Amino acid sequence: MSTAAVADSKSKWMGGESPFHLSYGKIMMWFFLMSDAFTFGAFLISYGTIRFASPIWPDPNMVFKAFPFAGHANLPLMFVSLMTFILILSSVTMVLAVHAGHCRDKKGVVKWMLWTILGGIAFLSCQAWEWWHLNHEGAWWGAFRDGMDLTPVKGFFAGTVSATDLVVHGADSAHKFFNFFFTITGFHGFHVFSGVVFNIMILVFTMNGVFDRKGHYEWVEKCGLYWHFVDLVWVFVFTCFYLL
Amino acid sequence: MGHFSDYEADQSRLYNMGHHEDINSPESKAKIKSIWKVTGILTIITIVEVGLGLSLADKMGDYRWVLNLGFIILTVAKAFFIVSNFMHLGDEKKGMKLSVYIPLALFIWFIIAFLSDGSFWLDISSNTGLSTPAAKIETLKK
Repeated sequence: MSTAAVADSKSKWMGGESPFHLSYGKIMMWFFLMSDAFTFGAFLISYGTIRFASPIWPDPNMVFKAFPFAGHANLPLMFVSLMTFILILSSVTMVLAVHAGHCRDKKGVVKWMLWTILGGIAFLSCQAWEWWHLNHEGAWWGAFRDGMDLTPVKGFFAGTVSATDLVVHGADSAHKFFNFFFTITGFHGFHVFSGVVFNIMILVFTMNGVFDRKGHYEWVEKCGLYWHFVDLVWVFVFTCFYLL
Repeated sequence: MGHFSDYEADQSRLYNMGHHEDINSPESKAKIKSIWKVTGILTIITIVEVGLGLSLADKMGDYRWVLNLGFIILTVAKAFFIVSNFMHLGDEKKGMKLSVYIPLALFIWFIIAFLSDGSFWLDISSNTGLSTPAAKIETLKK
């Protein structure tokens, strides 16, 4: 009895069987995502380090308060909440596509992949608008570097920041804040863009019956893992940039 | 059967090819229901976060860290729901779960080490004036 158990657990790792009952591709997708988590983690932690080292820091409620077609209305966090909701919903439609794939329901996969792609494009469009808007306010990589003029940066800080602090550190803090903002949301946006491209590929393969011929829809699952990861990263970007 | 190269090339054995779920079965419907339930939870958490951010962010004073702790707990809760439900890590074998979670534990060191480095730097520079560019000190004097 016990020897049989030992032989059994040994043979699991002797090849010919998957000990985790996962395919090579799916395991490697997990390990890729883990390494990507460290890349994003390093970005966000360096943002935190610089923020901790700065006497003052822009207030998200002051920086992110615009909404498309709302003119100068003061709507803090509203637009980014919409973006977050769009990305969560597109993650949901992706799980539904994966589930339809499990059931080999080709029509279902096509329908939910279309919604997922649409969600991804909607998110990217929102981000493009937000970047355009902030750029319009003078923000960009390297902006405010040598700013002695406080007019462009004053509006990014809470009213409680002292005038002296604003003169001494305002431009420098805003400079660092936006360097991190554009780098991190840009890196995330590039992930979303790649995800949309992969999702379009999956959609085309599904419509051409590639997975029906293969006998399984595992590619949908692998792209699904990537897409959920992109949503997961956004959850942290949202907290670090817009809430904390 | 069971030859290594088979396994590399053809992963279909990991799928129960002869037997697959029916999209209209009760099990399938229950799964879809649970997906929408998680969606609801994620949406509610996000609404709570935004609500807290809008109503309390500038009223907490010295207790801002309590609010921040709340944001971090809610964020980790969201991350947990996404990873375990949407990415199905909760359904994987224990060894697979551990080989993802254990390396991620490095983040505990990563965050503590670097944030404390940041606050140490602020401490030094505000006590020595090193963070203030000379030109700006001149402006202040005027």
